[in-house]
Amino acid sequence: MPIGGFVINTLPEECSDVAAHLGGIAGVDVHGSDAQGNIVAVIEAETSDLMEECVRQIEGLAHVLNVGAVYLHAEDEVEKIERGELVPEHPFKKRKFKLA
Amino acid sequence: MSLSRRDFIKRSAALTAASYVGMNLPFGQHNVAHAVDADKWVRGTCRLCGVGCRLELGVKNGRPVALRGVPEARTNYGYLCMKGMLFYKMMQHPERLKKPLYRERKNQPFKEISWDEALDIAAKKFAESVRKYGNDSTAYYGSGQCQTEETYIFQKVMRGGLKTNNVEGNPRLCMASAVGGYMTSFGADEPIGGYANIERSYCMFIIGSNMAEAHPVFFRRVMRQKLDNPDKVKIINADPRISATSRIADMHMQFRPGTDMALMNAMAYVIIDEGLHDEKFINNYAVFKVGKDGKELDLDGFKQSISEYTPEKAAKICGGNITPEDIRKAARWFATSQGSLSMWCMGINQRKQGVWANNLIHNLHILTGQLCKPGADSLSLTGQPNACGGVREGGGLCHILPAHRPVANEKMRHEVEDLWGIPRNRIPPKPGYHTMAMFEAVNEKKIRAIWINCTSPAQSLPNVTPYRKGMQSDDVFMVCTDIFPTKTTECANLILPTAFHFEKTGVYGCTERRSQLTTKAIDAPGEAMPEVWIVREWALRLAKELNDPVIKKCVEPFLDKEPDYELPQAVWDEYTQKLTKGQDNDLRGATYDVLKQMKDGVQWPAPTKEFALTGGTVMKFVRGSDPLAEKRAKNDKPYQFYGHAHPDHKLWVWSRPYVGADEEPDADYPLYLSTGRIIDHWHTTSMTGRVPELLRANPYSFVEINPRDASRMGIKPNDMVEIESRRGKVEMPAKVMEGPMEGMLFAYWHDMHEDRMINKVCHDAYDPGSKEPEFKICACRARRISGPKALKPYLTQLNE
Repeated sequence: MPIGGFVINTLPEECSDVAAHLGGIAGVDVHGSDAQGNIVAVIEAETSDLMEECVRQIEGLAHVLNVGAVYLHAEDEVEKIERGELVPEHPFKKRKFKLA
Repeated sequence: MSLSRRDFIKRSAALTAASYVGMNLPFGQHNVAHAVDADKWVRGTCRLCGVGCRLELGVKNGRPVALRGVPEARTNYGYLCMKGMLFYKMMQHPERLKKPLYRERKNQPFKEISWDEALDIAAKKFAESVRKYGNDSTAYYGSGQCQTEETYIFQKVMRGGLKTNNVEGNPRLCMASAVGGYMTSFGADEPIGGYANIERSYCMFIIGSNMAEAHPVFFRRVMRQKLDNPDKVKIINADPRISATSRIADMHMQFRPGTDMALMNAMAYVIIDEGLHDEKFINNYAVFKVGKDGKELDLDGFKQSISEYTPEKAAKICGGNITPEDIRKAARWFATSQGSLSMWCMGINQRKQGVWANNLIHNLHILTGQLCKPGADSLSLTGQPNACGGVREGGGLCHILPAHRPVANEKMRHEVEDLWGIPRNRIPPKPGYHTMAMFEAVNEKKIRAIWINCTSPAQSLPNVTPYRKGMQSDDVFMVCTDIFPTKTTECANLILPTAFHFEKTGVYGCTERRSQLTTKAIDAPGEAMPEVWIVREWALRLAKELNDPVIKKCVEPFLDKEPDYELPQAVWDEYTQKLTKGQDNDLRGATYDVLKQMKDGVQWPAPTKEFALTGGTVMKFVRGSDPLAEKRAKNDKPYQFYGHAHPDHKLWVWSRPYVGADEEPDADYPLYLSTGRIIDHWHTTSMTGRVPELLRANPYSFVEINPRDASRMGIKPNDMVEIESRRGKVEMPAKVMEGPMEGMLFAYWHDMHEDRMINKVCHDAYDPGSKEPEFKICACRARRISGPKALKPYLTQLNE
């Protein structure tokens, strides 16, 4: 399961509301916030696809200005892919090479 | 993984994030220090924009397992964006090109061949082209994503070996106007300052840049400066489109596309009219110029030349929401702040008047003395990670030799020939084809053999359809070096698989004159090889084919070097120790050993190792900061503008009249069309499209439409819309939003699907000086063609 460390920025006056809201999102642990509008959060997700979805959700929240990623650990996922337990989704329709 | 170790990793992630903002958490680092037991952490630079964020790739058992920012790096202070965090997924991607592929004719399927065969074919075909059609029938088209070593060695073989200046690169499409602006205003390319000014700036003028999406980590610094000083710092965002960047602005000036020159001339008018200019700075360091021949004016003459740009008149020209009072207020904020910092990107550069628009930004700085002091700078943001370092500095454009030497300058040409140890007059005196002319020459069969490296012109050129004809023709032999199939590899005869970032070693030079080393961390998949090796081996065969020992001479210093470190190091050493010596981008101090020690690289000029180890020159032209300012001083003034393009060592304030877009809306095509980036994707999506997380967020292009236009045209969110210009048409779903101003569409350009490829619609008119095309503005019409449609994302595949 990938684990990511993030600094999420909000308008200072909205920081505690946003932090409370984040705390309610599955997989998100809020570790603290400050008067400058910084929120320190860790996101843990089943796959990095789901982590990305979670980041999107946070980016879409009112008053969130920036989601800064600082750390990502994805060893489990890489191991699973190597063992064939996880096949990364391939969202494209396969197509023969189109001739010029 | 045990629960406790997992817990440790989570704590480590939290502590890392907390350390960035100085927050104390109830658990300490000592508990988690060993949580992540990567075999090694390899330092490098992100390759997905021009900011130059430093990061470390955690490698275990030869594969990437973790990524972290480098907190001490003065570019990003450890922050990264998700695009940067996920780039490692491209490394082991199943669609990576792993074997050389060849087909004689372009209607045949590709067959796997050996490297020996591939290099022989490439050499034979280029030699054949030289023998039959002359040296200028060959060309190289590179990229701002190539490492400096790659651009340097390619251009050396082309110019010194194949005797042609047909050396170009995609930075022509994004940065050439910024080069022209810096050269004509400041006398030297690249910015005077850098990112360090952000935290010292009290007025930030952001024009033609959506940095929140195109440069998110850089934007974070701008945002932080504003939020930490909400009353002291003013942010002016000038753009026809309201974007994510506008959220932190005190004032958003939404002007009609192409009227920015009227806006900036009006700001200059207010500055002079209200006596806000810095007379002492102007007297010491500036002259005024007008016209093609650069006739000199005095301040009164300049004032007279912009007298028609009253705020009232400019507000009328600009349209949108701009009032005369806004222009006055913006000019006053700019002129009177402790330090004013302008930042712009493609909205200014990708214009028929791109150089002039750049000049007008610089004018504001020169007039007010907002240069060379803390917080003051005129900073062009670069889109690609090595447009500055590799292409602008390394000799990657048709008119410049390495280290900012113009091709047309005989003395400098001979200097380069002597340094390379090749006969004089080997490098032709005439610049080669610039990008648009190059692909026109391909169409006209003047170019018969072309090498395209790490870029996809078959998708990225404006008005792309007619330019594909030549690339698709069997009369033109085309080699592509890349990591994935692209729209351009579809036109190739020979595809050579290359090592990706962190699979090879090399230097990137970011926006702020900063060179940073990325060392190899993992092996490239299959038989993919670094470009420096490919060029060396190709040149040796080419020398035999053409029986020309000078071609071999070009790569002789690099023989017998292993390709992962020694070879790029030897290329870097030659470039920095010989070619940059005594030039304004003197990088002699920035050896691989020094760059490896530095967490964030070196800003040039850095002539000695001792100086490079301090980080180099933070503020160019300033005595005490820039060693060349002292060395080349002509007087005792604190600033020395020694750039070689201005023999008078002065800054030039240019009188440039407002000129609109090349193609304005009319009765047939009543709307403006502009295009741009979104946060998740990079250029043509050949890379980010293959990271499912990034693709899912934006699986295909959208077109943003102002709600009032949408209502008039009966378009609802997600309806399919046809966008048509005089050159072509595409269809894509609509986003109805208060983004683009009324009368304007804004389309994302990251889509390989033929039906949605917006560059088929864009205009290929280009700036007469910089030759950079006007991607950002053309006239179009739009209509609703259906309700929402289920669309599939599309990427070119190279199947069996």
